[in-house]
Amino acid sequence: MSDLKTLFDSIFTASASLATAPILALGVGLLLLLLCDIVTPLRPARGLAFVGTLVVAAILQARVLFANSAPGLVLDGTFLADPTTALFGLSFLVGSLLAWLYASGYYDEERVLATEHDVLFLAAPAGMILMVGAADLLVFFVGLELLSLPLYALAAFRRSRADSVEAGLKYFLLGAFSSAMFLFGSALLYTAAGSLSLSAIAEHGLASRTALAGIALVTSGVFFKASIFPFHMWVPDVYQGSPTPVTALMATGTKAAIFGFLVVQLMPLLPPSAAPMIAVLAIVTMFLGNFGALVQSNVKRMLAYSGVAHAGTLLLVVPGFLAGADPAAASRAALFYLVAYLFTGTGAFGLLALLEADGERFTSLDSLKGLAKRRPAIAAAMTLFLLSLGGIPATGGFLGKWFVFSVLVEAGWTGTAILGVLFSVVALGYYLRVIVAMYMEEALEGEAAPTTNRTGATAATAVCVVGVLATGLLPALLLGPLGS
Amino acid sequence: MNVPTEHLLALASILFALGVAGFLVRRNVIIVLASVELMLNAANLCFLAGSRAWAAEGAAGGHPIQGPVFALFVILVAAAEAAIGLALIIAIYRLKRTTALDATRDLEG
Repeated sequence: MSDLKTLFDSIFTASASLATAPILALGVGLLLLLLCDIVTPLRPARGLAFVGTLVVAAILQARVLFANSAPGLVLDGTFLADPTTALFGLSFLVGSLLAWLYASGYYDEERVLATEHDVLFLAAPAGMILMVGAADLLVFFVGLELLSLPLYALAAFRRSRADSVEAGLKYFLLGAFSSAMFLFGSALLYTAAGSLSLSAIAEHGLASRTALAGIALVTSGVFFKASIFPFHMWVPDVYQGSPTPVTALMATGTKAAIFGFLVVQLMPLLPPSAAPMIAVLAIVTMFLGNFGALVQSNVKRMLAYSGVAHAGTLLLVVPGFLAGADPAAASRAALFYLVAYLFTGTGAFGLLALLEADGERFTSLDSLKGLAKRRPAIAAAMTLFLLSLGGIPATGGFLGKWFVFSVLVEAGWTGTAILGVLFSVVALGYYLRVIVAMYMEEALEGEAAPTTNRTGATAATAVCVVGVLATGLLPALLLGPLGS
Repeated sequence: MNVPTEHLLALASILFALGVAGFLVRRNVIIVLASVELMLNAANLCFLAGSRAWAAEGAAGGHPIQGPVFALFVILVAAAEAAIGLALIIAIYRLKRTTALDATRDLEG
């Protein structure tokens, strides 16, 4: 008995509870939310319970960030909590809140399931935090599924619409396929190294064929979720078919979580000889994303392709790291890029959610024509987000790209960095086309979007605008806690 | 009689390859889902084979208990996944009256 107690005490230490408190808070809040739905008098408090849970979780996550000494590896070395993962965690919570604000009032016929929607929205960030902190393949797998399963359901949330259900089914099938690849890879790595801990696997090395096949499958599974070529085909369909606020969460939060794991945990495991191959995958992803976006006439689908291109750009930090760039600089660049993209992408998709009515009727380029005259504030905010996506200075998107490319230059891969910058110029082409349509073209007859206005969406847009400008003008605000 | 670990890994790899082939080739959603389950079970078999190898005498330093625990988690998650997957299949059947993947072609490009 005393042995068991010693073991228990050695695993569940004070720093372990500090590190896992945000996830536990999300779990408790999720149960409370379900309770609110059952107990009729509590029903009006559902929104409060949702926001309250996220705020409490954010405060607990900030405690990790500002703790005198970061908890580090806890729970028997399976979960990492340091300033980097804490910043990632905070960004997931903010991203979920923003996407949820855009979702309020978005659905019409499915209002009955409002609580289910919110519960799924709370489970996703818990999975994301678990993924970024995972120092162990099992913990990552649990986090991945905790994130993916709610998103499958959310993607198909407009059940009466064929495109939404089809997006959910596609996302589910390909997600399950990539999970299975990841799992078989984990099993091979475990067979080779005898442990699920990433540090033990790194120590064991990748000398054997089993281990090499394992790391290849694990990386493929991760690339699938991150929408890297050749696993990017599902993204435009799923992003277009899903309800737009859910797309916002998928495009920003999921991408941040998967890249967070890739950069913080998985990158040190990859063999340096893989750098050229990953660089080629990144370049091809950027190519397909950018040129796919160029030919789209639907803005939502265009933003989905642009998301693919952004994933390609961000992936460039991995070869930069493998080729010898400073690891801290690489993870800082990725974190900054993802936080900037979180505000930008959520804002852009969110505004589309606000503009569209009756499904996707108003997400085409034609229906955005003349928007600046009809709704100047929305057009101005959209312009800012598009410029940030395109990487124009004074926005967070510019600095994110700058950091990523400077990691490459530091590693001596100047040519690849120049190629990346050229693709960014191509990207400006399709972002500017939307701005031109909004400001310089006349509205088509009968194509004008209705002038819906929602408090939640306005608040979320304000936060996104501030976020884009703050990351662009005051990067020290974000990078300060990391210590440069 | 003791089956060598390599044979178990080979069997798991064959199962996994069959699952991948089924996923890519078959056009009925339910068969595709079954193919994914086959891939998951290949992973489970591999976890157990690895665990057995590391539990054998003379294999120091490994954690043989982690393999079966992971396999349990996989079974658990596979059940949750099947629940969501079948719900989605029912949803699409209600709209399209078929479970053939080729019928779900509204999104293209």
